[in-house]
Amino acid sequence: MALGKTRKHTRQFVPPKIQITSMMDMFTIIIIFLLFSFSDKPEIIQMRKDIKLPESTANMDYKENIKLILSQTSVQLEDEVIAKLKDGKVIGLNPNKLKQSTLYKRLIVYRYNANKSKTDGENKNNVLFLCDKRLPFKTINSIIKIAALAGYPNFQFGVLKKES
Amino acid sequence: MSKLGRHRKRAIEDVDIDLVPIMNMFLVLIPFLLMSACFFQLKAINTSVPVLSEAANDVSKKEKLKVTVIVQIEKDRISLSAISDSVRPEELDKWGGQMIKGEKEAYPLDEVSICLQKIKESYPASDTVIVIPGEDVIYDTIIQTMDVARFCKSTPLFPNVVLSGKVG
Repeated sequence: MALGKTRKHTRQFVPPKIQITSMMDMFTIIIIFLLFSFSDKPEIIQMRKDIKLPESTANMDYKENIKLILSQTSVQLEDEVIAKLKDGKVIGLNPNKLKQSTLYKRLIVYRYNANKSKTDGENKNNVLFLCDKRLPFKTINSIIKIAALAGYPNFQFGVLKKES
Repeated sequence: MSKLGRHRKRAIEDVDIDLVPIMNMFLVLIPFLLMSACFFQLKAINTSVPVLSEAANDVSKKEKLKVTVIVQIEKDRISLSAISDSVRPEELDKWGGQMIKGEKEAYPLDEVSICLQKIKESYPASDTVIVIPGEDVIYDTIIQTMDVARFCKSTPLFPNVVLSGKVG
């Protein structure tokens, strides 16, 4: 009799229902946030961790230009590291012979290629300059001079938008 | 059980919406959006360096007086001066000035902004500023000075910025 009673009370296994409504809410919020911060830029710039860009009130969007990145340790043109920096000085750069620098030679090649393929009208005529905010002007000046000598006197200084 | 009773029971039952396909879609969307999300807004300041060029013959525009403001950033001060082809040197001299910076203080950019606004009010056609930083001035200070020179709140002051090294 007692056994029979126990049997009577045994319930059938019912698979538990997961409450996914709250998870859906969370996902919806995440999706909305991500959609708002969706980048519609022509290209995504991979920023290196060791570069701290200055903040500015500038509102202008950057264009598709040649990227010149100056960090505290190196000079980088597009994806190629051109030279190393030590104590704010470009290693192997003679300030009196800027035209002999690797950066100058590379920029000349870029300019030559840009002139060659001028048909599409979307040439990279300027330099997008991304520079660490802690670097002194003497370091920046030599790099800017080289770019100007190579035929790129117009720059776009990359900055982070200041939160108002 | 009567027919009415059966209908009532059906109306009370919860309807389970199958959320699994929506969840799947969200799970695909989230990584995609995370990859293309932009958490820092990168903006740009247009600037140039001085280059040799032929002198422009703007005789017809002489009635519009234009000055070019020079902002020199030194280690301990910011100096202002103005140059122009169409304004007398004696008149330009009054715009010259120096703003001294304390040893551990920030650069007096508010004072610079006030001076630049006065110059802009006197010569509204002016639009160019030449920023000449000293060798040890850091890039952040140069950008802050450019910001002050380009705009005052939303009013444009000298939007054309030329960055130049010190000569001599």
